[in-house]
Amino acid sequence: MANFEDLTEAIVEGNEDKIKLLVLELLNAGSTAKEIMDGGLIAGMNIVGDKMETEEMFIPEVLRSAKAMSGGVEILKPKLTEEENVASGIMILGTVQGDLHDIGKNLVRMLMEGAGFSVIDLGTDVAPEAFVDAIKEHNADIVGMSALLTTTMPKMKETLEEMKKAGVRDQVKVLVGGAPVTEDYAKEIGADGYGYDAGSAVRMAKEYVSN
Amino acid sequence: MTDIFSNQWALNSPFAKKLSDSQCQKLYWACLEILERTGVQLFAQEAIDLLEKAGAHVTDGNRVRIPAGLVEKAFATAPKKITLCDRNANRVIQAGGHRSYFGTGSDCLNIRDHRTGERRRAVLKDIEEGMILCDYLEHINFVMSMFLPSDVHQENLDRYEMEAMLNFTTKPIIYVTTEFSGCVDAVKMAEIVAGGEKALAQNPLAACYINVTTGLRHNREALEKLLFLSEKGLPFTYIPSAQGGVTAPITIASTMAINNAGVLAGLVISQLKREGAPFIMPGWGGNMLDMRTTIQPYSDPEKRGQAIDFAHFLGIPTFALAGCSESKLVDEQAAAEAALTLFTDAIFGGNFVHDVGYLESGLCGSLPQLAICNEILSWIEAFMKGVEINDKTLCLDLIDEIGPEGQYLDCQHTLDHFRERWYPNLFDRSSFDGWQAKGGKSLGERAVDEVNRILEEHKPEPLPKDIAKAVHKVVEDAESKL
Repeated sequence: MANFEDLTEAIVEGNEDKIKLLVLELLNAGSTAKEIMDGGLIAGMNIVGDKMETEEMFIPEVLRSAKAMSGGVEILKPKLTEEENVASGIMILGTVQGDLHDIGKNLVRMLMEGAGFSVIDLGTDVAPEAFVDAIKEHNADIVGMSALLTTTMPKMKETLEEMKKAGVRDQVKVLVGGAPVTEDYAKEIGADGYGYDAGSAVRMAKEYVSN
Repeated sequence: MTDIFSNQWALNSPFAKKLSDSQCQKLYWACLEILERTGVQLFAQEAIDLLEKAGAHVTDGNRVRIPAGLVEKAFATAPKKITLCDRNANRVIQAGGHRSYFGTGSDCLNIRDHRTGERRRAVLKDIEEGMILCDYLEHINFVMSMFLPSDVHQENLDRYEMEAMLNFTTKPIIYVTTEFSGCVDAVKMAEIVAGGEKALAQNPLAACYINVTTGLRHNREALEKLLFLSEKGLPFTYIPSAQGGVTAPITIASTMAINNAGVLAGLVISQLKREGAPFIMPGWGGNMLDMRTTIQPYSDPEKRGQAIDFAHFLGIPTFALAGCSESKLVDEQAAAEAALTLFTDAIFGGNFVHDVGYLESGLCGSLPQLAICNEILSWIEAFMKGVEINDKTLCLDLIDEIGPEGQYLDCQHTLDHFRERWYPNLFDRSSFDGWQAKGGKSLGERAVDEVNRILEEHKPEPLPKDIAKAVHKVVEDAESKL
């Protein structure tokens, strides 16, 4: 008999075939898609998130779990009602203008997707206006900005100002990150949060949408 | 597909050398000359008789001049490799050549107590906790007693040390005894644990550390132990402690010549007593007296490397010394000296590298310092590995597949191999915020936490009850003779 514990375990192992099989078995046994989604897939990724914070799981393993999880999501999606079929939240993500570094940003994307977010990745060298347009177009909940260079950090502030000007600042929570960025800097420019690593960014994003 | 590629050779490790073979040759000749011309003073009649019978010249009752030929002959029978086993007869240490193993030192008078931070006299309980820690730490390959227990009868402290080591770890042991009778009792205990005299000789779980007064004066206890252990075929170190500027000329070359003349005298006696006796020589050369403070520095840079080179030249396994510091605290100096000495002994290839975790030039020990050394050794082990350069490790197909725009974080190849890279345990690599979230602790504080955790959680495999009882009987018998 398949059970939810096996499914969360398969998520932690990142075993996609096993996840698909268990999802189908659970559906056959009468669980609803929503139950499997929350009690199996998301619950499994929460364990993965915890294990990443305690340094038991390393980035490539976390990414394997996130990837494997999406195999289960694909089966469940068509079976969710319209109401159920919404992501945990919608995030606009990008490296600010003038900056081409994207490893950290990509990591955040993959982990956010693993946590059930729908992520619109604008890539690197993203102009302030492009962030604003994307917020409007996708009705986003969260904006994530990244910068690796001290010289491009001021673009975060400019982007925030552009959001205010366009009247969309209050509809989103803004998270900033990247090696030179600090908690103090985030406060100074008026961002809502600062993630010192990809895991903490995901944790904060989850808090924002649950409130 | 044919795969032929000529003229290939690869390094499997970094390497270091301080003495060339011709320099070693010169040093060796100097030792031979000292033995023939000046000779050694021996304080055990059996040793003198053995040498005289073999052709040495004896004057003044105990002054013995040893012809070079006897030394040459001894090399033919002395083993180039010495095995030490764990308590379960696994042959875990194969010392010789450039293969390094690490262990604690013995008999520190004091301990820097990790619970209170205070320096105090060591007690038997400290040895027991030290052994539990050693039993756990991956890079500690053999144990010595670490501390001198102040709370037992001092006449029998070596028996208590041996019992504690046998009880609280399964790792190989290097024991030290004050008198000859202590050595006999230590062997008795080891034989009980190994399952008898023959079993111990076949799979020795313990070696004896023999200290000799100086290169040219060999005390009675040292010679008695050497003869006894040679007879039994059990491994031992033979370490004269010639000190530059005191018991030898101040130059490194001369201190080494005197010291190693003494080593070679011991080697000859051991092989005369029993061919094949497993003999271990010192892996540091040129001890000095610090003329400012009168301490003998342990982490002295100038005594490192050359003695290991010399032992490799002679083909005799070494007892080296590293992971030790002159610092009074587990501080920056302690970490730096421990790291530098462990690194040099590893890269030169000392065999039994002892004194890991020593502070205060051998007068104090610390459990957190030992845990830090274990981390340093983990680093060094990773550093010493060679780099494989081949088609498989170059991954040219993968590079082409991923292309300039892709990344490797979530590809299967990364997943398959990322765990092969080294990760620290005690050394912190967190971001500033991550480090702060974990308590913002220094290395020393983290080491204390680690020691507390290990002592709480680790339970070494106990000796079978009847064996433990029989071992304790040896201690009791010695006590009853007081």
